[in-house]
Amino acid sequence: MEVSRRTFIKTTLIGGAGVSVFGFSLAPVYAQTQGLKIARTTETRSTCPYCSVSCGVIIHTLGDKSKNAIPQVVHVEGDPDHPINRGTLCPKGASLEQDIANERRLLKPQVRRPGSDHWDDISWDDAFNEIARWVKKTRDATFIEKDAQGRTANRVETIGWIGGCTDTNEFNYLAGKFMRGMGACYYETQARV
Amino acid sequence: MSNWWDKQIQRADQLAAQANGSRELLTFYAQLLRAQKEIHDFLRSRRDWLPSGELELDLSVLSEALPAFLKKIESYGPASLAAEAHDLSRTDFQIVAEKLLTYWCTSSDIKFFEKAFLQPYLRWLAETGAMPVGRDTSLSERNCPYCGGNPQVSFLQNKETTAESGNRDLICATCLSSWEFRRVVCANCGEERPTKLGYFHSPKFDHIRIEACDTCKHYLKGVDLTRVGFAAPIVDEIDAAPLDLWAREHGFTKIELNLVGI
Repeated sequence: MEVSRRTFIKTTLIGGAGVSVFGFSLAPVYAQTQGLKIARTTETRSTCPYCSVSCGVIIHTLGDKSKNAIPQVVHVEGDPDHPINRGTLCPKGASLEQDIANERRLLKPQVRRPGSDHWDDISWDDAFNEIARWVKKTRDATFIEKDAQGRTANRVETIGWIGGCTDTNEFNYLAGKFMRGMGACYYETQARV
Repeated sequence: MSNWWDKQIQRADQLAAQANGSRELLTFYAQLLRAQKEIHDFLRSRRDWLPSGELELDLSVLSEALPAFLKKIESYGPASLAAEAHDLSRTDFQIVAEKLLTYWCTSSDIKFFEKAFLQPYLRWLAETGAMPVGRDTSLSERNCPYCGGNPQVSFLQNKETTAESGNRDLICATCLSSWEFRRVVCANCGEERPTKLGYFHSPKFDHIRIEACDTCKHYLKGVDLTRVGFAAPIVDEIDAAPLDLWAREHGFTKIELNLVGI
């Protein structure tokens, strides 16, 4: 049968009245195709953010990649190819979709001022500046240059760091450099990924 | 392992009775599966013989199953296949053998008779543990590790007892055996970027989806056995032929055409 795959594709596309490469009429198949509602999802491998086990997850996102469409997470499942959990998830991890697609999820920084009874929205730039100002102020005020015996200490005991489980090795390396550079002693990560 | 064939035949009959657009395809495929099962049973039941894995040597036995196979295609196939089957049944076996040997070395998804006739032989080879001689099996992880064939369809199945997610396997279009393959990877070019891999799904075929790659513009269909456990991937894949036409209309090419040429 001298027919190429290119010829076949061409025949199936002209008016839907083509035949398959082996001679089957595709008219009824084409008729059914017209009624199909097709949705595109993507699958993205990620890491569960909840604990230091760092289970692999696959996040299913609905969206046709058009620029004005907002992708929507529709399902999260354990990653069967991940060596840690091999497709399994704890009950908390299995509910991850509800954490992502949740109207109460914070999507921007907020600040609660001294004496205030509520949180105010703040821009990312202002948040960075404010954090930097407080870190410097705290460090300057509590920096310990010498300990009680007069030995050089150069440490800060009033600032600590707790890393999340989705922080990568590279991120933790930079965080470690930064904290050690400041003299901070209390530094923990959940480095797994 | 005739049960495997029985399961495929049963599923094809079941789907053909319910099918809308793909009824003709499934009706034919059910008959083709019966013909393939007969070849497989013939090879299995042969006394004091095991396949060598070298097609040229095994052809003398395999050739005995050819006339019945061609007769079945002539009876149930569409006009073009029936005519070709008729011609082949009158062709000198040496010429047919050359066609089969050519296919053996360089598989092609548009060579219906070679592919359909050799599938049960290759499946029997795999079951007996004989290795196919003369086929390149070291192409890539995207090709069948047993015979080097292209994937026909993928399926998701739970392998970890406590997992709800399905592991992904690919079924070989040439020998029908399956091998493990990672979930978020293109089965044609190995693309791993999530934004380049699209999964297209229609509620009409709830457990079947198109797994397409924007990089190489190829696709194959995936059957989710965690949703419909009694599905038979190679059969359900044919039932979902409308998805193939949709994929082609949107610029995707199937990695390997199935035995109804879609």
